[in-house]
Amino acid sequence: MNLKDISTSVPKKDHKGKVSGQLPYISDVKVENMVYGVLYRSPIAYGKIISIQLPNLPEGYEAVGAEHIPGPNYVKIIKEDQPIFANEWVNYIGEPILMLTGKDLDILYSLLNEVKVEFEEHQAIYTLDEAIKQKSVSLVLASYEFGESLENISAIEQGAHQIIEEEYDTGYQEHVYLEPQGMLAVYKDDEIVVQGSMQCLYYIKNALLSALACGDDEVRVVQSPTGGGFGGKEDYPSMMACHVAVAARAVKKSVMLVFDRSEDMLVTTKRHPAKLKYRTALDKEGNILSMCVDIFLDGGANVGLSSVVLQRALLNSAGVYKIPHFHAKGYVLKTNTVPNGAFRGFGAPQSFAGIESHIGHLSKLAKIDPLEYKRKYLVKQGDPTITKGKFRDPILVEDMIEDVLNVSEYKKKKEDFQRLNQQNQRYKKGIGTSLFLHGCGFTGSGERDHIKAKVKLVKSKDDQVSLKISNSDMGQGILTTLCKIVAKELNLPFEDILYPYPDTKEVPDSGPTVASRTTMIVGKLLERAAKKLKNQWQTGVEQEVVEHYVHREMIPWDEKTFTGDAYPAYSWGVNIVEVEVDTLTGNLKLEKVYGNYEVGKVIDERIMKGQIDGGLAQGLAYGYLEKMTSKQGRIQQKSISDYGPPTSLDIVSIESKVFDNPYADGPYGAKGAGELTLIGGAPAVQAAIEDALHTSFQQIPITPEVIIESLWMKEGEEG
Amino acid sequence: MIKFTLNGRTVETDAPATARLLDLLRDEFELIGTKEGCGEGECGACSVFVNNLLQNSCLIPIGSIVGADIQTIEGIIETEQFKILDESYSIAGGVQCGYCIPGMIMASAALLSENPHPSEAEIREGISGNLCRCTGYNMIVEAINLAAKKGDGL
Amino acid sequence: MIEKITAYRFERLDETLSQLNREDCAIIAGGTDVMVLHKSRRGVPPKIPKPIVFINHLSELKQVYQHHKDLHIGACCTYSELLENPLIPFALKNAIKTIAAPAIRNRGTLGGNICNASPAGDMLPLLYVYNAKLLLRSVNGDRMVAISDFIQGPRQVQRFHNEMVTEIILPFVLGDSHVVFDKVGNRNADAIAKVSFAGFVRISKDRIDDIRFAFGAVGPTMVRSIDIEKKLVGKTIPLADADIAEIVAAFDKIIRPIDDQRSTAAYRKTVALHLLRYFLSMKQYQPN
Repeated sequence: MNLKDISTSVPKKDHKGKVSGQLPYISDVKVENMVYGVLYRSPIAYGKIISIQLPNLPEGYEAVGAEHIPGPNYVKIIKEDQPIFANEWVNYIGEPILMLTGKDLDILYSLLNEVKVEFEEHQAIYTLDEAIKQKSVSLVLASYEFGESLENISAIEQGAHQIIEEEYDTGYQEHVYLEPQGMLAVYKDDEIVVQGSMQCLYYIKNALLSALACGDDEVRVVQSPTGGGFGGKEDYPSMMACHVAVAARAVKKSVMLVFDRSEDMLVTTKRHPAKLKYRTALDKEGNILSMCVDIFLDGGANVGLSSVVLQRALLNSAGVYKIPHFHAKGYVLKTNTVPNGAFRGFGAPQSFAGIESHIGHLSKLAKIDPLEYKRKYLVKQGDPTITKGKFRDPILVEDMIEDVLNVSEYKKKKEDFQRLNQQNQRYKKGIGTSLFLHGCGFTGSGERDHIKAKVKLVKSKDDQVSLKISNSDMGQGILTTLCKIVAKELNLPFEDILYPYPDTKEVPDSGPTVASRTTMIVGKLLERAAKKLKNQWQTGVEQEVVEHYVHREMIPWDEKTFTGDAYPAYSWGVNIVEVEVDTLTGNLKLEKVYGNYEVGKVIDERIMKGQIDGGLAQGLAYGYLEKMTSKQGRIQQKSISDYGPPTSLDIVSIESKVFDNPYADGPYGAKGAGELTLIGGAPAVQAAIEDALHTSFQQIPITPEVIIESLWMKEGEEG
Repeated sequence: MIKFTLNGRTVETDAPATARLLDLLRDEFELIGTKEGCGEGECGACSVFVNNLLQNSCLIPIGSIVGADIQTIEGIIETEQFKILDESYSIAGGVQCGYCIPGMIMASAALLSENPHPSEAEIREGISGNLCRCTGYNMIVEAINLAAKKGDGL
Repeated sequence: MIEKITAYRFERLDETLSQLNREDCAIIAGGTDVMVLHKSRRGVPPKIPKPIVFINHLSELKQVYQHHKDLHIGACCTYSELLENPLIPFALKNAIKTIAAPAIRNRGTLGGNICNASPAGDMLPLLYVYNAKLLLRSVNGDRMVAISDFIQGPRQVQRFHNEMVTEIILPFVLGDSHVVFDKVGNRNADAIAKVSFAGFVRISKDRIDDIRFAFGAVGPTMVRSIDIEKKLVGKTIPLADADIAEIVAAFDKIIRPIDDQRSTAAYRKTVALHLLRYFLSMKQYQPN
């Protein structure tokens, strides 16, 4: 079909395979000469490996460890601190030490139980609080500081009416993608082909080139259909790829590594737990004079992507507000726990939960409705960002707020609830709001300096156009949306545009599928490439067009001083949530959920709605439902039901609207949307609970346990 | 040997009685539509019909389904009901990463077979054992609602 | 390295009982608990340490009937089958609806829930306040045992290896009693109870004839106290504040939950007592 307006929805390209169940994910694949791999993992949180004793291995069963790695023994991500196979020190429970391979899983599991490793155990650091108390430089994996000088802030605080200090904690969040992680290395004499569930084709290739110390054409990476990612398959798959590739090389067979759900929950990366400290100076009316924010992220046992997560957390530390005299600093601290990593939002959900909570509490002191208070500080077009960048583009948040206030009848509901709550002992209703943004694209100068995206369009003799890019569809629908952009540009039927699963043999590096960059950055490159192809079009001839990322310099980002335009563009959102709290059990019922969003231009309405519904469900659950804890370095929830992601009975219909605000550098005006929708959930739910119970909370998730404890304490104070 | 009916054919296996039906379907019979998401009956990705009842195949030892009538997603693809669900899920945008979908379709079919015109609450109840992490369920609920209207008692 | 598995599946109950008499076996009805308890890892069968006997097909175990005023429920009736059966009391059906999700309810059985004897077993609090009895059969004959005697601890039941639970009997269940069941989980489906409560009261002429409480997930087995219940017999409805306070305080002493990966002891105890107080504070009780 030819598309009149790009936003009009089309049937998705991969629909048939998915509804029939015949689209093969990696665990559905079997190849010749294939063995399974299972990993022996450290049972201790911190210590030295003294000796490894293997059981007698039957014919066809082998052990693979650090000694089989041709290259250096670390997974190439940012820093060199993540071993492929730990062979000296282990730093967390679950760290892989060696792999056993063989044909029969039952036998492998048995053999695994017989592996005996002797450790010299050392005192581990188990929690973020412990790490903070230690104040040891050796535990700081990353840190940044920026903003107003502390002398100036001190001076302002001298003249303040009140200084408010708050400490806010956010917990783990586990992705629970339905498809557990899996990776296969196909062994051939001259080439290893690694395929599996992934978000970043070239992260994996680069990690393999390093680990296998091989030539560029000796390793090839192919993305399999991926059953959900949410950031959990951004960097973790690189380690799995190294495992299976090193093993395949060593045993000269194809090696398949697929995780159990419980294994996945216990050892893969999670959202960084965080502690956020706020120190705000207020005048007599409760207006903000200055604010200092300190962010501590629990990085787990190695740094991974944590420095970038910290950057984004800091860049969002003032929320959507223009705060006079703002200072922020942040640290990623090492603990002997499972390394943490990317999860939709990437540091922003923690920051927004914190700042929205803090601002909400300040509004109570000023005795102003939280939303009214927030609106006073809302940034406007032309305002500087907290890193001396600029909000260049129109900001529609005020319109979005007006609209959702109307649709939700916020004011009326607020009053009604106050009245109802007086009468009803057991059930309390509340309504809360959140305002948020998301910087689109890779933080800072990443696109310009590291990614340098390149896309290719290839036209066959039969005039079929194929997208050659390295980006992964993990459910967000880029197989469809990116083809739509090219189809519209070339004025061809959408069905005639092909987008095979990325293969490093075929596609250039258009960058990772992260940071809400795919539509905006890669989509723009494809739009340009398609325009070029259209101009050069020759029917019946094979043609190829390449486009490179061109950086539009604004205020250049400087990581050292942490100044400049951190992002080229921002997407915006407003949430309103109505809840009912059962004060008997502390259980929460979502009653109504509203979301207004602005993402430039929507490339497919239905797909955007899917991102709204799915992202917001995760964001809400992050605020009150999903809880993961670690005790003595061990994750306590290894089943889905213990962790508690929402079921269909926990979610309600979401009423949403998307506002148009085309962005010049996005394809058809589109900006990023994938992460934005999660960010507003938790702060809105917290605000609603606080409205219902007239209490302030200093943490998420606000579980029934937290609610009951706070009600009990309140009773104690009153009684 | 354990004998049962699979998607309309009589089959037999010498796998042990405690073998999980899920593994049998995927390994021995190479039916990949039934997927493993958790292995503990908590996600519904392994949903099959046993004597026309929705069940989690990861929890079924094959010794307990001797002589039973088993249907996987592959067994219902040709039905009119499936075609309507297929279309409805597409129109409503209920499919994102797709991993939960075969299980969701099985649950949808089971629900509509028993209750051709379910309310929203009944739909949510019907898929309450199927976990989806991508969609937040709402568009899947719409899909089933749409299918109920289109199917009108199918 | 791979152990041989022995499994049996007989067409009749008596043959099954004979096998149980010969060997100590693991009994599998629906399997929804057993398969999780003995779960290995992906791609392989569970590791069950005994020979297995399958029973969920035995028609003798699927009968539901009334005998005098007692309700007899076959141990292998699935939850879904019970939901469809008009003889099953409303309160029991409500409790069943809180279990897991449809696919599990199509397989899980009442007998299985009892014999699994989880501290958080969803059907147990209600069965306790119904004073349920279990019919155990063996080659040597029948034995009736009260559910509170049968369940001895987490996953421990008083069943000799040649016995099988064949029926659950709810005595005098049809009558005018008001029964409540509350399950508090971490979400609205597929949740293991953090706290559960069952309350049963029979009133005549505004006075309490019979009152029973059972708490789940706050101890190794259900918490019930006949002594505490006796204190309320003969009292008028609505109960006086002092009486309610006394009962709540009495349970406060004996409810001793733990912290675990799902919840905290403090939460469990507080909510358990809240549910009790709420039940005791009702202004009237309607039979259901």
